[in-house]
Amino acid sequence: MARGKVVFDIETCKGCELCIEACPQDSIELSPKINAQGYHYAVLVKDNCTGCTNCALVCPDAVITVYREKKKGAKEPVATISNVTGNITVTIDERS
Amino acid sequence: MGDLRLMKGNEALAEAAIRAGCQAYFGYPITPQSEILEYLADEGRKRGMIVLQAESEVASINMVYGAAGAGARVMTSSSSPGISLMQEGLSYIACAELPCLVVNVNRGGPGLGTIQPSQGDYFQATKGGGHGDYRLIVLAPSSVQEMAAFVYDAFDLADTYRNPVMILADGALGQMMEKVEFPDYDPTAHVPPKPWATTGKPKDRPANVITSLHIQPEKMEQINLHLQAKYRTITEREVRYETLETDDAEVLIVAYGLVARIAHRAVQLARAEGIRAGVLRPITLYPFPAVPLRALAERVQGMLVVEMNSGQMVEDVRLSVEGRVPVAFHGRMGGIIPTPEEVLEALKAMTTQHPALHAEAN
Repeated sequence: MARGKVVFDIETCKGCELCIEACPQDSIELSPKINAQGYHYAVLVKDNCTGCTNCALVCPDAVITVYREKKKGAKEPVATISNVTGNITVTIDERS
Repeated sequence: MGDLRLMKGNEALAEAAIRAGCQAYFGYPITPQSEILEYLADEGRKRGMIVLQAESEVASINMVYGAAGAGARVMTSSSSPGISLMQEGLSYIACAELPCLVVNVNRGGPGLGTIQPSQGDYFQATKGGGHGDYRLIVLAPSSVQEMAAFVYDAFDLADTYRNPVMILADGALGQMMEKVEFPDYDPTAHVPPKPWATTGKPKDRPANVITSLHIQPEKMEQINLHLQAKYRTITEREVRYETLETDDAEVLIVAYGLVARIAHRAVQLARAEGIRAGVLRPITLYPFPAVPLRALAERVQGMLVVEMNSGQMVEDVRLSVEGRVPVAFHGRMGGIIPTPEEVLEALKAMTTQHPALHAEAN
C-alpha cells in the first residue's frame, strides 16, 4: 500500500472536521492547540496515511496538501487545491 | 441566471454587500466573522467602497451612524461580544431613524465565550438590545445563499423604514462553504431619495438636524409614538417565514437559521418512523411570525422549539400560540450544534409524554 503524508495550512483551517470524516485510515484528529483565529486545527496523528487524497478533496478551504511517497523515498505533492478567488481547482499528479 | 460561486458564508455576505451598493463599511475583526472585513478591505476597496478598520466596535457603530446620517448605504459586522459593545450606538441610530445594516455572526456566550456557533443573541437582537423602546428588523439566514440574498433585502428594508436592520447568522453559517448565486441587482433602482441627509445646507430649505437627544418629555413621547407606529407597520407588512412539510403535520418544530436545517432533517427521520412532523422557520425574527404560528396551533397537537441557546425564541412561540398547544423546548448551548438524532429524540419524548408537556408549557 502506498504511503503518504498530509500537510495542513493550520492558519486557514476552521476545524470543520470534514477531513476527519473522510479519512479511511482514521489518521486525522483536531489538535488540542488553536490557531490565530481560535480554531482547533486538523493534524495527522497516525503514521498510516496512504496518500488517498480524500481529505484534500473534501476540504472546503483548500487547507490540505497531500504527499505520496515514491519508491525511492522522495516526496512530491500529488494533490494541491487552490481556492483563492472562490474557484477550486484540483490537480492530482500521479507520477509516483 | 446570475453569477454562481462557491464561497464561505461571510465572503458571500460581503460580496452581496458590494453588489447591493454598500458605500461604506466600518468594523473591527472578531472570529467567526473576520472574513467580512477581510473581503471588503480587498474587494470592496477595489470596487469603490470606503472600508475602515476602526479602533473598536464602539467607534465602528458611531462611524456607521455618521455615514448613515450623510445618506450612505452603510454597514458594519461583528460577533456577539462586539455587537454588545455596539448597543449604545444602535439605540442612537434607531432613535435618529437612520438606515444601516448590522451583521451579527453569533458565537457562544455569555462573556467572551467561544468562537463556535450559537443563537444566544436572540433576545438581544429581537428585543432592541440597547436602551429605550426600539426594535431592529432582524433577518435570520439559514444557508450561504441566504447570507448573500438577505443583504439586498436588508438594505432595502433599512432604506424603506429608515431603521437599522440586523442579519443574525451564526459561526457555522459564516464559516461554511456552499454554492451561492448572485442575482442581477441595480442599487440605483432601490435606494430611495434621502432628503433628510446631512449633506450640506442649500439656501432653499432649513438645516437637516440628526440627533437622538430630545430633552422635552412631550417631544420624546411623540417620537416614541411615531417609532411604535412604524414598528406596527413593519409587523403588518414584513413578516417572513418558511414552512416545510406542515400540510399534514401533527407536531411542529419551530427553528430558525442553521437549526432549521437540522430540524428539517429530524422531520425526515421522524416521518420515516411514521411521526407526521413539520417545520416552521421564522425568517424575520422581528417582526416575529406570530400569526402563522397561531394558525398552525389550531391544527397541530404540539410544538417543539429547537435553538442553540437555553430557550429564547420559545418565549415568543408561547406568546404567539397563547396556550393553544403545549410547547416543548430542546436546546444546546456554548457552541454545541444539536444533531438531527437528538432533535428526533426530543420530538419523540414530546409526543409520548403529553401530560409532562402541559406541565412545562405552564
